[in-house]
Amino acid sequence: MKFSVNWLHEFVDLPKNPEEIAKLLTRAGVETENIETRGAKIDKVIVSQITASSRHPNADRLTVCEVDDGSGTKRQIVCGATNYKAGDKIPLALPGAKLDNGIEIRKTNLRGVESEGMLCSPIELGLGEDASGLLILSAEAKIGAPLSDLFPGDTILDVEITPNRGDLLSHFGLTREIAALTGKKLKSTPREAKTDIKKSGLTISATRECPFFSARKIENVNVGPSPQWLRAKIESVGIRSINNIVDISNFVMLELGQPTHAFDADKLKGGINVRLARQDEEFLALDGKTYSLAPDNCVVADQERAVGIGGVMGGEETGVTNSTKNILLEAAYFLPASIRRTARNLNLPTDASYRFERGVDPEMVLRASQRATELIREIAGGTPATEINVAGKLPTNPADVSLSYEKCDRVVGISIKRRTVDEILEGFGLKQTKSERMRKNESSKWKIPSYRRDLQRDVDLIEEVVRAYGADKIPGTDRSRFTPASIADHAHDLESAWRQRLAAAGLDEVRTSKLLPRERFAFSKSAIELRNPLSEDHVALRPSILVGLLGVLDRNIRAGAERVAIFEIGRTFIRPSGKEERHLGILLWGNAASAPNWRSPQSRSLDLFDLKGALKCVVPNLSFRPGKFPDLALPVDVFSGDQMIGFGGQLSAAKFNAPGPVFVAEAHADLLLIAEETATKFHEIEKFPGATRDIAMIVPEEIPHETILHSIEEPREPLLESVELFDLFSGREIGAARKSLAYRLTYRDRSRTLTSEEVNAAHAKIRERLRRDLGAELRE
Amino acid sequence: MTHPLEQLRDDALCEIESAPDEQALETARVKYLGKSGSISSWSEQMRTLGKDEKPIVGKLLNEVRNAVTAALESRAANFRSQMESEGLARIDISLPGTPHEIGALHPLTQMWERSIEIFRRMGFALADGPDIEDEWHCFDALNTPPEHPARNEQDTFYLPDGRLLRTHTSTVQIRTMQAAPPPIRVIAPGAAYRRDELDATHSPQFHQIEGLYVDENVSVADLKGALEFFMRELFGTGTEVQFRPHYFPFTEPSLEIYVKSKALKGGERWIEVAGSGIVHPAVFEAVNKARGDDAYDPKKWTGYAFGLGMDRLAMILFDIPDIRLFAQNDLRFLRQFA
Repeated sequence: MKFSVNWLHEFVDLPKNPEEIAKLLTRAGVETENIETRGAKIDKVIVSQITASSRHPNADRLTVCEVDDGSGTKRQIVCGATNYKAGDKIPLALPGAKLDNGIEIRKTNLRGVESEGMLCSPIELGLGEDASGLLILSAEAKIGAPLSDLFPGDTILDVEITPNRGDLLSHFGLTREIAALTGKKLKSTPREAKTDIKKSGLTISATRECPFFSARKIENVNVGPSPQWLRAKIESVGIRSINNIVDISNFVMLELGQPTHAFDADKLKGGINVRLARQDEEFLALDGKTYSLAPDNCVVADQERAVGIGGVMGGEETGVTNSTKNILLEAAYFLPASIRRTARNLNLPTDASYRFERGVDPEMVLRASQRATELIREIAGGTPATEINVAGKLPTNPADVSLSYEKCDRVVGISIKRRTVDEILEGFGLKQTKSERMRKNESSKWKIPSYRRDLQRDVDLIEEVVRAYGADKIPGTDRSRFTPASIADHAHDLESAWRQRLAAAGLDEVRTSKLLPRERFAFSKSAIELRNPLSEDHVALRPSILVGLLGVLDRNIRAGAERVAIFEIGRTFIRPSGKEERHLGILLWGNAASAPNWRSPQSRSLDLFDLKGALKCVVPNLSFRPGKFPDLALPVDVFSGDQMIGFGGQLSAAKFNAPGPVFVAEAHADLLLIAEETATKFHEIEKFPGATRDIAMIVPEEIPHETILHSIEEPREPLLESVELFDLFSGREIGAARKSLAYRLTYRDRSRTLTSEEVNAAHAKIRERLRRDLGAELRE
Repeated sequence: MTHPLEQLRDDALCEIESAPDEQALETARVKYLGKSGSISSWSEQMRTLGKDEKPIVGKLLNEVRNAVTAALESRAANFRSQMESEGLARIDISLPGTPHEIGALHPLTQMWERSIEIFRRMGFALADGPDIEDEWHCFDALNTPPEHPARNEQDTFYLPDGRLLRTHTSTVQIRTMQAAPPPIRVIAPGAAYRRDELDATHSPQFHQIEGLYVDENVSVADLKGALEFFMRELFGTGTEVQFRPHYFPFTEPSLEIYVKSKALKGGERWIEVAGSGIVHPAVFEAVNKARGDDAYDPKKWTGYAFGLGMDRLAMILFDIPDIRLFAQNDLRFLRQFA
């Protein structure tokens, strides 16, 4: 909310420097977000009066005005606005003036007519948002006087009021806080309403939603423009001036925090009833829109129809217009929860609903009504009724709150003197209720002011103590604690290790959005859609990581990348329950090396075995088996031991249009996390040398490595320790549909050195098996 | 008087020392130690010496032979290493090292790892909770009942079945307390979602670390100590940390945390980095009700909680101007943090 420092100053003496006010408030939890100086930029702008005007000879949209600037000689000004008439007093920027928008005024020639200055609109002077026409000054303004006489300099504070502090949503409310924080006395407080109260003429059917309602009739008002001071005041904090009655209502809200509303009394049909809306009841509001109401909306109604959405917005048909003679001034208390629901359901947040849903001060309702009435009488010349009609009951005062000083110290972490605590709470308007028993219990009981309904428990009072005492005066303490590792710790550590390994294997880690755009539903036909997406870019929860990885590939190819080797570990959401699974996704595309380099000038492309190698970094006992997946041209199922943990392969070119093949894999990481972490156990380093023998063979192309390996290893030769494939080729020299493979076999006995004969015997058995079982053509 | 052998030794050493190349050195070797070299011929003459002279000259001859041999070897070694160096000197040592492909970890991961590492040193364990939540865990249990001004359903993504995407990781506070009695000392890294338009500082998905410590006598001072330590570890020892009272429904008192450091861009400005506070007793009461016991008796236990925005902290620490860069995953961006 915006606050005028001049206005605040009417209630309390403020620190001279606005920065200091801002700092004071911010340190007490009332954050000042912006400080804006107003009025300083209106040098060389004076009050002038338009004495005559005529059409510009060469431009339809311009007029030529004769202006009295108080110097005795008339000035000629060319002007584009149309909202004035001869006799109006207008701010005139003289040549040399620098306006708020940065424009410097000079004597110019506009389409052949000389213009000796510029007539100004409010926005050009930094006096409001209005840019629609000239700023018409009040008739009393003295011609030739500097405009700063009318608009003294001011500073506007933009303050973030937290939702629990509805009491700060007014100039009076904020000064009350400043007074408490500085220990200064308030210069004035809104007077008690001394009007006679009459419990008639009104009914409340919705007593829960509207516990209290008041209406005061004011007759014979003159609706018209507001005086300059009133306009300036509300416009300085960003409220548009409408007419004197509406402006007064807004002024009182800004001053005291209590919204009021004025009805055109002659348009009301019968007495007011506050009731719940009927289902689908139509209502034309002041904003010109028709709202369809529901029974949880509270309306102010006459005997025929709703005339206002209670605490939110008045009705168009009964609003105050220039022809209004008699008004009915509403001031009420609405249930915060009800207002909030209504404003939210109708998507109609207003300045009034903002305050009601945060809770207004019940004691301010009638005071505000009185203040508005007085202003209306002064400004619009109305005659208020001697009585104010009321219905219902104002909420009772908040319950007393007990505070144990010992608990206060315990929560704050330092010992604060009781007197200090008491003084702080008293400063905020709390009153201690004396009780001998309490004092013995080292605690105190506090009466809470009507405007501080947020103070409900001892911790709320402790917060007040911290705010006023100063959080920076509480020294930080070192309080650590031994904590055993949790399941989440183990999961995190394993995941971190995977990230490290995959990065060490040359893959970059990416993090893509878990919210998918509408157009990208490859791999995600079964995604859970959001009920209320905000844009087409985020409409569903990802069931797979690959969608995001493909997006990253696309972006990087377009950015000119020649190698994209990426992985992501993160949550996916599986239909129908939305079960959250942690998945690992890998994508490889392009060159094996990110740049050509002088050590290995021949570059090759990343392929399926790079994918397999990357997976091997994190998946124990990895194997690929033929799989089925419609989006993959070469689909494989990914296994860890005997458990299938994911899928992968080469992406179908029809699915993703990239230059060159794209390899992807996605594994369900949680399945690998379950394995209980046990420390690796040492086994003795081999003391005796092993012996190696190579086998080179030619086999038909269709025999896979796995079959050859199986033939070598089963049945197991006890001396065979390991088998490695070290060469593979096919080509014309070995014949069509054939391939040549070479394996190195290592033989070892852990307890002795093998003899050449033993090794040869074992090796011969394996060779024979290969020849017999696979028809392998063994090469010597 | 100098013995002729000594003279011979000095001549030999001098000649070895001044041999300009390996060939000259070989000539010297042959001259002194060769079959008919001077030292060898002295050995021949030993037989002719008398009984008294023999051991003295023999000893001397041995010394001379050893000295000359050692000098020859050392000189030869010099020539060899010189030759080796001359050969290697032709290598252009300014050539680049053999490249290895090493991937980069995402800056958000790095931010998370740094933060977790600091909190672990302070004795926090990790906790976890789902991204898809119910209203009770996200709002009600956190003292934000329906119609509460801070309960902003407008900013919340809902699923068709009425569940929602958590708007903060504070849900993990509730889940952790439901699962175990106090004391609790956990941090929970995770994603959260808000129905915000994507721009330079807002993203519908963002990342947090939640913290919760419940124990006897946990105070504002303890909270300050913990987070001051964290911020200084993260941003450097010269970092100033400020706690400003604020409002969150689920903590009371509530404090927002600001840091200021010359090491950060924007130097002398206070930057908001986290929200924190003392756990509101209503949160304990909600947990007790769900647990069906009185494990979190607000009279006995107090706690502090905090939430750190990881995206924001990473943007501050790494000087990243736009939150959208995190989800775009441009390799030219990611590789900067390798």
